[in-house]
Amino acid sequence: MDPAFLPFADAVAEMLAFRGEIVDEETGVRSHITQCTIELPIELEVSRGESGALVLGSAPPIYYVDTSYRPSYHRIRVTAVQDSAPTAHHEARDGR
Amino acid sequence: MAGENAAWQLEDFVDSVVVDLDKTRETLAVKAINKPLTYTVKELSLDLNIFPTYDGDRVRFTTAQPGQQGASKVSIQLGSITDQQVRATTKVPEAGGVSIDDIGIDNSTKKQLRKLGVQSADDLQRVEKKNVDLKRVSDADIDYRSLANQIQKAQRNTAPPMVHSVSLSHDTETPALLVNGTRLAVNPRFSPVAVINDQLAEVLSFDDGHVRIALPSADDLERPLELVLTCDPFAVFKVNVTAEGNRHGPETSR
Repeated sequence: MDPAFLPFADAVAEMLAFRGEIVDEETGVRSHITQCTIELPIELEVSRGESGALVLGSAPPIYYVDTSYRPSYHRIRVTAVQDSAPTAHHEARDGR
Repeated sequence: MAGENAAWQLEDFVDSVVVDLDKTRETLAVKAINKPLTYTVKELSLDLNIFPTYDGDRVRFTTAQPGQQGASKVSIQLGSITDQQVRATTKVPEAGGVSIDDIGIDNSTKKQLRKLGVQSADDLQRVEKKNVDLKRVSDADIDYRSLANQIQKAQRNTAPPMVHSVSLSHDTETPALLVNGTRLAVNPRFSPVAVINDQLAEVLSFDDGHVRIALPSADDLERPLELVLTCDPFAVFKVNVTAEGNRHGPETSR
């Protein structure tokens, strides 16, 4: 894979590596992000590995200015949800 | 600059994306050990600029690269599904089942069968039970009987007969050849047929582990015997037997 590209799995994992907690210590409010959708243009490199399976490489757009040589921007939209809801309080199994 | 993009089929591409998402899930699961607040991918959609090609058999796509104009667009959406949904919609291949890839039929017939959703011998039997006229729905010369024969042949190939020993038996008045082995008679609709030195011989008894064959005459013991045993239409073998010194060697042909 071209070194400018990240394996697709790593790219998605990196996208979701954000701090999902917003804390306002002054007011004592703590918020959690429970779901987020990220949509961005990407470049893709599709090659075949030694086993014959497709290997997907991806990279976000590198240039911020118009160039005469335009990348082909594909588009990805990832919706992620919190893996497990934060437990504000522990509830006994019998509902107490 | 990346090299040329490889042409892909939709199935391959989706498989790769799913494999990548599994890797992402594993990475996030490890991360969750130390960081309780992690996220999992619920939906993923891709809008791809592609160049489709059709070779008369399959549609392939090549992902557009920088500088390439005039690409078409294809959108792929993947949603997460639960284990329960996977179990409800996925058929686990049965142990000992025969895939249509293992059946000795031409690629065109295999392709026609796949189009009809037939992937295995079991699928075919289910279609047959519904009395579906395969010739009419597939526009191909598909015949249940010839397919059934091919399936039986494929099944027999995965469980061929094995001869462990051949001995002369004098337990009764009639001298007999006793063939010991495994999977000798597995087809209940067919009894083994034996030919000794080009003469039909009577099969006295048989089961999966043995076949007992009457020798046509006592003189037969004096000379080498050539036994051809047909267990079923897809399992035939030849054994050369020499009475002296217990020299005998199986020579199997199927």
